[in-house]
Amino acid sequence: MQVKNTQPKTSNSLFMRLGMMAFISFLALSTLASSHREAPLIANDPLADNTDLYAFRSPDNPNTITIIANYIPAELPYGGPNYHSFGENIRYEIHIDNNVSTAGDDVIYRFTFNKTNEDPSTFFNIRLGKENLKTTYTLERSIDGGKTFSVVISNGVVPPPNIGARSIENSTVGLGTTYASLISGAITTASSGEKIYCGPADDPFFVDLGGIFDLGDAPRQMNNNKVRDGLARYNTHTIAIQVDISTLQKDGKSVAMAANILDGDYVIGVWASASRMATKTLSTTGGNPAYSGNWVQVSRLGMPLTNEAVIPIGMKDYWNSLTPYDEITDTLLDRYFYNPELALYMDDSKFGGAVPAFSALRVQSAALQSFDFRNGADGLYGLKGSTAVAGTALDDAVFGTLLLPGAGMPRSVDLWPTFHTGVPNVIPYQLATGKAGNPLAAGKPFINNFLPNGGDMLRLNMATTVTDRTSADFSSDGLIHAAVLGLTDARFNADASLQFIPNMDGFPNGRRLEDDVTRIELQAVSGAVLAAIGLWYDDYNASDAAASPVTNHLLNVLQYSTGVESNDVAFKTSFPYVAAPWRGTAVEAQGTY
Amino acid sequence: MKTVNNISRQVRLIFGALLLTAFSLQLSASSHREAPLIANDPLADNTDLYVFVSPDNPNMVTIIANYIPIQLPHGGPNYQTFGENIRYEIHIDNDVATTGDDVTYRFTFTRTNEDPSTFFNIRLGKQNNMMRYKMEKSDDGGSTWTTIVASGVVPPNNIGPRSIEGGAGMNMPYSTLFGNAITNASSGEKVFCGPTDDPFFVDLAGIFDLGDAPRQSSGAARDGLAGYNVSSIAIQIPISMLQKDGKTVDKATSILDADFVIGVWASASRQQIQTLNTDGSQSFSGNWVQVSRLGMPLTNEAVIPLGMKDKWNSLTPYQDLANISDFGGFFYNPELALYMDDALFGGAVPGFSKLRVQRNSLQGFDFGNGNDGLYGLKGSSAVAGTALDDAVFGTLLLPAAASPRSVDLWPIFHTGVPNVRPYHLATGKGGDPLAAGKPFIHNFLPNGGDMLRLNMAVPATDRTSADFSSSGLVQAAVLGLTDSRFNGSSSLQFIPNMDGFPNGRRLEDDVTKIELQAVSGVVLAAIGLWYDDYTAGGSNPVTQDLLDVLTYSTGVDANDTSFKTAFPYLQSPWSGTGKSSGSTVAYTQPAILGPTWTVGINDLNKEARFVSNYPNPFISSTTFNVELTDNSKVIIEVFNMAGKLVATPLNGLRSAGNHEVNWDSNNLLPGLYLARVKTMSNNVERMNALRLVKAQ
Repeated sequence: MQVKNTQPKTSNSLFMRLGMMAFISFLALSTLASSHREAPLIANDPLADNTDLYAFRSPDNPNTITIIANYIPAELPYGGPNYHSFGENIRYEIHIDNNVSTAGDDVIYRFTFNKTNEDPSTFFNIRLGKENLKTTYTLERSIDGGKTFSVVISNGVVPPPNIGARSIENSTVGLGTTYASLISGAITTASSGEKIYCGPADDPFFVDLGGIFDLGDAPRQMNNNKVRDGLARYNTHTIAIQVDISTLQKDGKSVAMAANILDGDYVIGVWASASRMATKTLSTTGGNPAYSGNWVQVSRLGMPLTNEAVIPIGMKDYWNSLTPYDEITDTLLDRYFYNPELALYMDDSKFGGAVPAFSALRVQSAALQSFDFRNGADGLYGLKGSTAVAGTALDDAVFGTLLLPGAGMPRSVDLWPTFHTGVPNVIPYQLATGKAGNPLAAGKPFINNFLPNGGDMLRLNMATTVTDRTSADFSSDGLIHAAVLGLTDARFNADASLQFIPNMDGFPNGRRLEDDVTRIELQAVSGAVLAAIGLWYDDYNASDAAASPVTNHLLNVLQYSTGVESNDVAFKTSFPYVAAPWRGTAVEAQGTY
Repeated sequence: MKTVNNISRQVRLIFGALLLTAFSLQLSASSHREAPLIANDPLADNTDLYVFVSPDNPNMVTIIANYIPIQLPHGGPNYQTFGENIRYEIHIDNDVATTGDDVTYRFTFTRTNEDPSTFFNIRLGKQNNMMRYKMEKSDDGGSTWTTIVASGVVPPNNIGPRSIEGGAGMNMPYSTLFGNAITNASSGEKVFCGPTDDPFFVDLAGIFDLGDAPRQSSGAARDGLAGYNVSSIAIQIPISMLQKDGKTVDKATSILDADFVIGVWASASRQQIQTLNTDGSQSFSGNWVQVSRLGMPLTNEAVIPLGMKDKWNSLTPYQDLANISDFGGFFYNPELALYMDDALFGGAVPGFSKLRVQRNSLQGFDFGNGNDGLYGLKGSSAVAGTALDDAVFGTLLLPAAASPRSVDLWPIFHTGVPNVRPYHLATGKGGDPLAAGKPFIHNFLPNGGDMLRLNMAVPATDRTSADFSSSGLVQAAVLGLTDSRFNGSSSLQFIPNMDGFPNGRRLEDDVTKIELQAVSGVVLAAIGLWYDDYTAGGSNPVTQDLLDVLTYSTGVDANDTSFKTAFPYLQSPWSGTGKSSGSTVAYTQPAILGPTWTVGINDLNKEARFVSNYPNPFISSTTFNVELTDNSKVIIEVFNMAGKLVATPLNGLRSAGNHEVNWDSNNLLPGLYLARVKTMSNNVERMNALRLVKAQ
């Protein structure tokens, strides 16, 4: 009886909420409105620079979610004598929204750091068992949207930098320990139950920074096609939290109580930030600066690469100053998702010819010989108000006007919601499998990470099963690979029933450390999500019943890669999963590897 | 003789002045990420300072001040460059009789985005985060300023071949961008501000792992700065402009003419109050506060201990003497010397095992930390008339007992070394370190502050000569003591590398090695205070202990790339896509497959076989030419770079054939536009795009 009711109940409540959102929030609007060194100002404040955010179900402990927020980009492992660490007078925060009907954050974790010098008479960082710039932290938690905070860890330990064997292992001159025990000794359980690690780590992100920012040269066409991981051998500072799903689920439910793997009640939106006090006054005598005034957010991160490769330079500092909850009323930023700059380079009628590295990526200009998603075109807007979209997510009566806000905004149906609302398990956002050629028909359920607050967040459905990291099906291509399996693999494409397809727990349904988000986002900009729901590439003949929609253009997109698909070192199999920081003395000179 | 007299007169004069300051004191007393606060403000972090007589132009001195450490060549999308709201300054003192700076150069930078609609740094010839600078000069100690470069060009970062050489980028070689940025100031200096290869070289990882240089167990030494860039300010200045009386170098009475000494230091300052605004911008107000400074390399990195580094950065060199009670001790009894002394922590730092401080020099003098060095001679007839005579120099060189390095390390950093006894080479001293010997160096400018001091009259050593050495003055001393060309008499001779660190600092100088050798007492040895294994009166003072010090090396002796032979001498910055842009990943791109089915796909220019416009760039109008193969609807639309439609020069049906469309663009601002030419026949739309440039 209960089981029978679960599925329709979930859908009903989803639609009710959609309707509520449409009427409460969205009708009022007349116009509709991730990152290393990504914006000009924060690039000059490395301590507060939020580089990456991850949220995934813990592979070795599926009743918990692991959230990892990284700060301080491209730390040289041997960057002495003052090795990088978290900054004082900064609030590092991780925010979770689990309920769109409550305003703002439902859970906030706030970390603040403190440094002491155990031996200020030396210029060395570690000497004779004493540690300078020794960093400890306080963790506070708020479950009322930031009105009140409780201290859940005081004097948490941040391991020292991994300087070298003399400073760490040597028991005469150094600390006389191992770095592995410094890391494990720093893992702490908060009084509220979360497991926490704050400290240096290998930067888990991987990207050919040099190529991609040389006008999109990824994979490299220049420099003898030599692809490089620009973050290999650099460290970052990690804040990792492992938290019970029942702590994050809005009603305190454990994951075992989820109705199914797409249960809409298990969606969380996660974002991270760094804030500083508004006024900094320098000492004239070399003392610490004085800080005063209100706290001002200087960096934030939800989806990877948003502020790096979607928001143009003139708007990046502004983007960093907003919270995700400000975005629904913002009118300046949505346009970069409706008509993304990157899509100009995946379109032969625009600058496609100028970026040869993206030649495998071409946005649909005539999907099903009808729909043009190139910048400035109308996409699905022509369907607005028609019977074809009645009852689907594209129906104004259901979702408001967010998905079809106007003409000339073709990517309002895929890129904008991927970044701002998550994707619901409703028509047309189901896999083409079972749709019989009509993208607006019901298809195979695929994803529900829908939390329509309108803000840039990393959204995860915590009920989605974890893909075994050692399975042959595991893929760094995340949801793109899950879609490929759901469309083409005999285990999954036989019918439109809900099945767990491997990598359904991959980006952009949360983000695993392994996910190749650069590739996935470039594929998404080139229309891969549209193709997955049946808006195939131009070279599919919709009138030919015998034609396969898996055309060469789709294959080109699926085979596209920047060439850097994985991290330069393995991840750990248990918390905090990130690899230990590179040892200063173990890193080769740049340019020699 | 005349020179020496001049010097001692100058010395007396100066120390008379110093005594006023120093008497009131109870006790007499380079840099990447070197202090805690500045490590978190990379834009204002002064990394290195160089001052040398230009090898290709000996009438000129070149000063190079570098800022912003460890820049990843591939650090996009916001590549590092100079900061706004910072005063980058280079200060020169050429006369201790005047207070403070005699010449000051101030650089301030302004950022512009030429195309804020893209996240790329460079696109279609437009540059974001484009920096321009104003250079001002003060000849009166900072009271008044004259602008001498109003809008100097900072070259863009060397992002990669598509952004620099490519047609979608700047469309020119990096060497052209670099060369074009060299500017002549209205007052005659040559100037360059921009990204360069970091010329410094050091095994950062080893040395900061408790002094493991050269590495004992953790693999080969590595230049930790190899492959990284830095932001450089380089100035080439006629010597007559820096010499206190306006003299050219050919007027120098000798290569040690005391009137040709300059002291140089660099700094960065910020306004005291920084306010973060809620719209993501920042504002600055209040007085300017110095947040970083640099004179001698490694002072604040490896001499000043952690607890005092931020304070040191806040002082000017002119305040150093008044703070000698706080800082003098770090030179008198340097931390590094603890690790070069078997009675202290020598055994704990095996990397330094070849470096041992004299504990029993000439069987009489102990320079170990906490010992008296030459203090026992104070007031004796032995030092009468030398620099160690209180009557001549005041008490700065022998301030107190248990300050052994007050006679070598402290003056090297704070006054320079005069060409007076005992600071002559041991050559000709006949075994008495206090006797007159071979003149060696005079970069004496005794203002008491940490500066890089250069005697501009010392000729430049040919960089291609076999005698050229990155060991600087240490190698000059070796030649003066041991080479038959120079050790035959105590006459003043030019010895190669007399123009090397610490007489100024050349790009090639291995200052890490030289300073470690100096801490281990090599300067004392050069003047005849030999190492412990020399028995006074013995025939050969070049003992094993001395040879060990002289052959000491950190394992990183030179920069990872060459230097240029002409201004600014620094090498061009590493490319963001070159070998320094990350570790290689094996990858072969799959072939791009052609379309499975082509009917109905846009094939460009089927009707519009040829679309062009002339002129381009244009001022008030341009003419589009469209050649149609079929009758078509033709739409020409012009968009600005933000994607906004600004004009529709044509929207109508046209027959097959050639068509000209004149478009009046008077109402548009100058800039870059895109024209989209759409043709439509049989319900199939086709497009082509043109790049339009409206000129001023």
